[in-house]
Amino acid sequence: MDYIVEMKNISKDFSGVKALQDVSFQLKPGEVHILLGENGAGKSTLMKILSGVYEPSSGSIVINGTAFSKLSPKESVDSGISVIYQELSMIDELSIAENIFVGKLPMIKKFGIPVVDFKNMEEIAQRMIEKVGLKRSSKDLVERLSISEKQQVEIAKAIASRAKVIVMDEPTSSLTGEETNKLFGIIRQLKYLGVGIIYISHKLHELLEIGDRVSVLKDGKYVGTKDIKDVTKETLVTMMVGRAVNERHLKPEDSIHTGEETLLKVEGLTRKDRMVQDVSFELKKGEILGFSGLIGSGRTELMNAIYGAAPIAEGRIELFGQEVIIKSPYHAIKLGIGHVTESRKETGFLKNFEIWKNISLSRLLKTSSLGGTWGLINEKQEKKWAEEYKASINIKCASIEQNIGELSGGNQQKVLIGKWLAAGSKLMIFDEPTKGIDIGARGEIYKIMRELAEDGVGVMVVSSDLPELLSVCDRIIVFREGRMNGTLSIEEATEENIMLAATS
Amino acid sequence: MMQKFNVIWSKYGTFGILILLTLVMGILSPQYFLTTGNLTQVLLQSSVNILLGLGEFFTILIAGIDLSVGSIMALTGMIAAKLMVAGMHWVLAIIIGGIFVGGLLGGINGFLVNKTGLHPFIITLGTLSIFRGLTLIISDAKPVFGLPQAFKSSIAGWLGPVPIPVIIALIVALAFIFITNKTKLGRNIYALGGNSQAAWFSGINIKRHTMIVFVISGVAAGIAGIVMTARLGAAEPLSGSGYETQAIAAAIIGGTSFFGGKGKIIGVVMGGLIIGVISNGLNILSVPTYYQQIVMGALIILAVFLDRLFGVKR
Ligand SMILES: Nc1ncnc2c1ncn2[C@@H]1O[C@H](COP(=O)(O)OP(=O)(O)OP(=O)(O)O)[C@@H](O)[C@H]1O
Ligand SMILES: [Mg+2]
Repeated sequence: MDYIVEMKNISKDFSGVKALQDVSFQLKPGEVHILLGENGAGKSTLMKILSGVYEPSSGSIVINGTAFSKLSPKESVDSGISVIYQELSMIDELSIAENIFVGKLPMIKKFGIPVVDFKNMEEIAQRMIEKVGLKRSSKDLVERLSISEKQQVEIAKAIASRAKVIVMDEPTSSLTGEETNKLFGIIRQLKYLGVGIIYISHKLHELLEIGDRVSVLKDGKYVGTKDIKDVTKETLVTMMVGRAVNERHLKPEDSIHTGEETLLKVEGLTRKDRMVQDVSFELKKGEILGFSGLIGSGRTELMNAIYGAAPIAEGRIELFGQEVIIKSPYHAIKLGIGHVTESRKETGFLKNFEIWKNISLSRLLKTSSLGGTWGLINEKQEKKWAEEYKASINIKCASIEQNIGELSGGNQQKVLIGKWLAAGSKLMIFDEPTKGIDIGARGEIYKIMRELAEDGVGVMVVSSDLPELLSVCDRIIVFREGRMNGTLSIEEATEENIMLAATS
Repeated sequence: MMQKFNVIWSKYGTFGILILLTLVMGILSPQYFLTTGNLTQVLLQSSVNILLGLGEFFTILIAGIDLSVGSIMALTGMIAAKLMVAGMHWVLAIIIGGIFVGGLLGGINGFLVNKTGLHPFIITLGTLSIFRGLTLIISDAKPVFGLPQAFKSSIAGWLGPVPIPVIIALIVALAFIFITNKTKLGRNIYALGGNSQAAWFSGINIKRHTMIVFVISGVAAGIAGIVMTARLGAAEPLSGSGYETQAIAAAIIGGTSFFGGKGKIIGVVMGGLIIGVISNGLNILSVPTYYQQIVMGALIILAVFLDRLFGVKR
């Protein structure tokens, strides 16, 4: 048998939660093996067992003919396994080059003393990041990068490690189409070199394009493995969910939602750091406004500026008919703005809090006084809110007392959406809202957005996923290099003309 | 197995150690250690340290630290004593000299941390020296005697069989338990310690909360300064030197995570008692104080190491 990785009968318990039960998985050299399953199915857990983060409760792992009952992280790396985690893990204070080579910095002898060969390292790193399409200097500090740029660095790092097996846990969750295509180009090259790739994603069209074989997990159990050429979107969904789900477009075709009342009016907004320049638009009651553009084109930066998280040099904002100057996120939530941010690990959830504390946090702040410092809490009430949103947006967890870090990525995202719904926000900013969310839950979130809009809540969506914008928005603003480069109504918008506006 | 141990350790570890140590000391020295008189003494000796640790707790909770607590303690004690000697009523003197000045000094720490963006370690290392210098200047490096009897007997006296410093520490601990468990302020401070960026995006004003945390630490140190002055019957310009180690130790041994966001007030109280039991026990066993310092240092390292080992979920 010429498998490069063989995981046999793997089970994993987390103090009672059966994350994996008797799962087997094989990877051939030079294949792209898709791992598919709903949020919480156990995909990331299986990969963390392969990378030595978790010890399996039972089962064994064979890598290149060597059998292990468990792996240490070092044994895993030494066996040629490299993992790009769903929640990126980089050292912000170091440069891109140092991050790529962390743990194995190239050395050179100077006067007989080994020192880090910075010149060589930066050159190699530069080539690597250019390969993945990142337009940066390898000397730049990672803390200055956006989340998607970080994702690109992680990919470069995996390639640079000359791994034999590369695991990509939702590598494209914040990449746009163009960057995804670049990644696919790289994956094809790696395949050619005999590297085995395990690829996790919730974007089905991607899987069909890049995959060779697909294995499906459901509720921690192995469902089956198929050749990609033998499957369709529909069969995959049925394997994954256990029933057919139709990806319906939520926007009713006949009615245009744009109402008369203006909820948000932005005029000539320019950020102090010029990442956003001269932006003007209006958000009407009842509509969902989408923001498209390439990575770094200023969409997230605009949202942060509106939310009071970045200083504004010029421009005015009118919220619910009143001119406002929003100085801080606290101020923003007091005014009724909610913000599901782009990076749930960095600016989203609190890793030291249980699910219920994460859900109630902003609601508590909204109803507090003296700058958020004054007020009492009532745990019973908070838990009731948490239970409410656990049920209404279907958060999969053993209990709301679980630490949020224990949830699967998609379920963490749902908790964060629940947090802003609980705060009763009147204007919701969703930045990459379905990042890491499975196809079934994605539909649920689109439905929530539509319902919010119908209830008179302002909804703005930033997304790198064009089909997503096309299926939920009523109007799409396209950004290019910090400026608005076109506004398309849903009737005229197509993937093609959005891309055109984003690039020229 | 490992996981169960983690859970039990994080819940009852500190308490277990306290009981274990008490038993060990009890076996080694049943006739001296396990007497009501001596155990009361342990409580009394621990009270100042617990007070300092209670304030320190909040600064560590936001992944910071306050090294200036020993100096704040000396300066507040000194100012209160000076005010009393100058004729101010002792109640007013401890409110102004102890609580108010303590809060003010903590506020200076908070202000500097917010304005400079430097780590609290640096700022409070600086103010540790500055506040001590101020104490020496206003006291001319001499102790201040002649404090009112009413002050000494009210603060350092007894309420029936219980020393009043113990009651004061208890009241402060209860107040802080209320803050951490029942108020939005407390919740926000935990959030800030867990992930300041995410806390900020959730709407928490980082600077304001940082300020409050240092004010709390200063007030607790101010109260400790008053208790210390009453117990000594005088304000010593050098009192409290090195107490920051003990305060940090109480918080850390009590399970407060050095990485921020995790810990409980009750743990700090137990951490302070563990230190009290150890130093009292070693005294009874006639171990020289120098060795006690070694034990204390080793304990801090061990506690943080265990936090690293078991605090991380596998
Ligand atoms: N450290 C942990 N402690 C307790 N439970 C955990 C832990 N890690 C994962 N789980 C649980 O194991 C299950 C599988 O989680 P996993 O992260 O592997 O899902 P996933 O398939 O990657 O989902 P997603 O698509 O949302 O990323 C979930 O029910 C999750 O709550
Ligand atoms: Mg996952």
